Amino acid sequence: MNIIVCVKFTPDAGDIQVNSDGSISLERAEWGIGSFDLQAVEAGARLAEATGGKVMALSAGPRQINHSKLKKDLLSRGPDELYLVVDDALQDAGTAATARVLAGAIGKLGPFDLVLCGEGSADLYFQQVGLQLGEMLGLPTLNAIRKIETAADGLRVERDLDDEIEVLAVPMPAVLAVTTDVHEPRLPTMKEILKAGKKPVTEWTLADLGLSGGLAKHSAVVSIRAPHQVQRKNIRIEGSPEEAAQALVGYLNKEGLI
Amino acid sequence: MAEQREIWVFSEKPALLAELIAGAKTLGGRRVAAWVVGARSSAAQALTQGADRAAWLGDTGGERLVEDYVPTLAQQVQAGAPAVLLIGSTRRGRAVAGRLAARLDNTVLTDVLEFQSEGGDLLIRHMIFGGGAVRVEKALAQPVIATVGSGVFAPLPPAAAAQGEMVEVPFVEPEWRARLIERKPRPPAAVNLAAARKVICAGRGLARQEDLAMINELARALGAEVACTRPLAEGLNWLPRERYIGISGATIKPDLYFGVGVSGQAQHIIGMNRSKVVVALNKDSSAPIFQQADYGVVGDLYAILPALVQAIKARP
Repeated sequence: MNIIVCVKFTPDAGDIQVNSDGSISLERAEWGIGSFDLQAVEAGARLAEATGGKVMALSAGPRQINHSKLKKDLLSRGPDELYLVVDDALQDAGTAATARVLAGAIGKLGPFDLVLCGEGSADLYFQQVGLQLGEMLGLPTLNAIRKIETAADGLRVERDLDDEIEVLAVPMPAVLAVTTDVHEPRLPTMKEILKAGKKPVTEWTLADLGLSGGLAKHSAVVSIRAPHQVQRKNIRIEGSPEEAAQALVGYLNKEGLI
Repeated sequence: MAEQREIWVFSEKPALLAELIAGAKTLGGRRVAAWVVGARSSAAQALTQGADRAAWLGDTGGERLVEDYVPTLAQQVQAGAPAVLLIGSTRRGRAVAGRLAARLDNTVLTDVLEFQSEGGDLLIRHMIFGGGAVRVEKALAQPVIATVGSGVFAPLPPAAAAQGEMVEVPFVEPEWRARLIERKPRPPAAVNLAAARKVICAGRGLARQEDLAMINELARALGAEVACTRPLAEGLNWLPRERYIGISGATIKPDLYFGVGVSGQAQHIIGMNRSKVVVALNKDSSAPIFQQADYGVVGDLYAILPALVQAIKARP
């Protein structure tokens, strides 16, 4: 099975700086593979290992993603090849535009049996790109997949819905968005890390995909602000463990909590 | 005068559909049409819940998936040209919304928490960066397709008699179908964190899984439920998934949240920052959780927890 895994490299939301005017900055944030995409990479690697075939990793984003550390990190986790669409216009691309770019790149990739995505991106978590991508490709498309098995006539998948598990037979090629339950992501071995540097990386621009005319814009970002903070008392409790415990019990009592 | 365009709502969950109907009625006095998959009685019910019109798509009959109605819905949206389409933000709802949007060369504004009309524009507010930021967007597409989760709008009190009309919508056969092999009940959640009045949350400050015994002991002493941060449930697997608090996990608003060894990453904070009283215990005085805390104890949890349990038990 030839498998395409779509990955979003994102800044770490934990590194958000809130400015004094309530705006936020990600300039100091470290970039990495989306924490919901690692499981898709793992699922792709396992299926390819079990069935024979290759894993093509695909990512689209601004110039920050074209970084050797990120590329190596991804390639050390199972993919055989990496394809990047790099353009600063992708920084603020909406889900539909991102899906369109990925669909364009997949059109250049050659035959495949399965496209895997994570459930959502680690920064925006809109959980849309995989679904929109699948529909654009005109392929069977499902989200919330927690288990994938190969069957004689395609795939057998388990879908984790809000109140039930659905077991489905899905024809291939298909596009699946997987949950974090699908597989625990591997920790790359030293051997894999060394090998990663020698794996092929192909870089495309939007023009290479025939998308130099610009990306569709279905919404405009008006503002991004830190959420309104609940006012907290910010009382610090100090002293020996016994003193701190006594003080805390006093406060909990005053709050009517014990 | 051209007839004013409607607002359409769709959810496979009747309770969420009722909330969407109520929400749609707050968006500028347009007629509201409810699109219903399931029993015919659900479509009739939508009329008593405030919909001006109910469009019954039919029953899945156990054969079809709700998602199989995407081509039907796409055709209807193209013909009916609603101004706004609200879809319930369940996993199925997200799948319907995304596939529908792609078919219509549109997009989805996801998990909207608030709509606001401003000079003819529709603005929406939702969270990004795991709750670390609020993003306001102006919708540019027609129709505006948005997903809305439960709890954003309150349903209207049901009317005694339905006023609106009901239409039946013919099914459009989809290009592909996933074949349903089996439906299994989801393993029942052992805990409903959202209902707990007090929650003790364990974080990475715990060195070993066995140390959860200390957390359990504190929980017993306080009559609290035990929760954890994402790494303890995903990765370390010390506790089941349903016990983790955060943007992709549980969102809680108990009377007491008590974080033990929790650093307070943005994606965790969004899950707990509506708690009434927040207590944080962490050895790192610069941990971000302390900014969110009413009471912050800086110190070694292995020394303080036993002292705390003893102090609680020693109360008269």
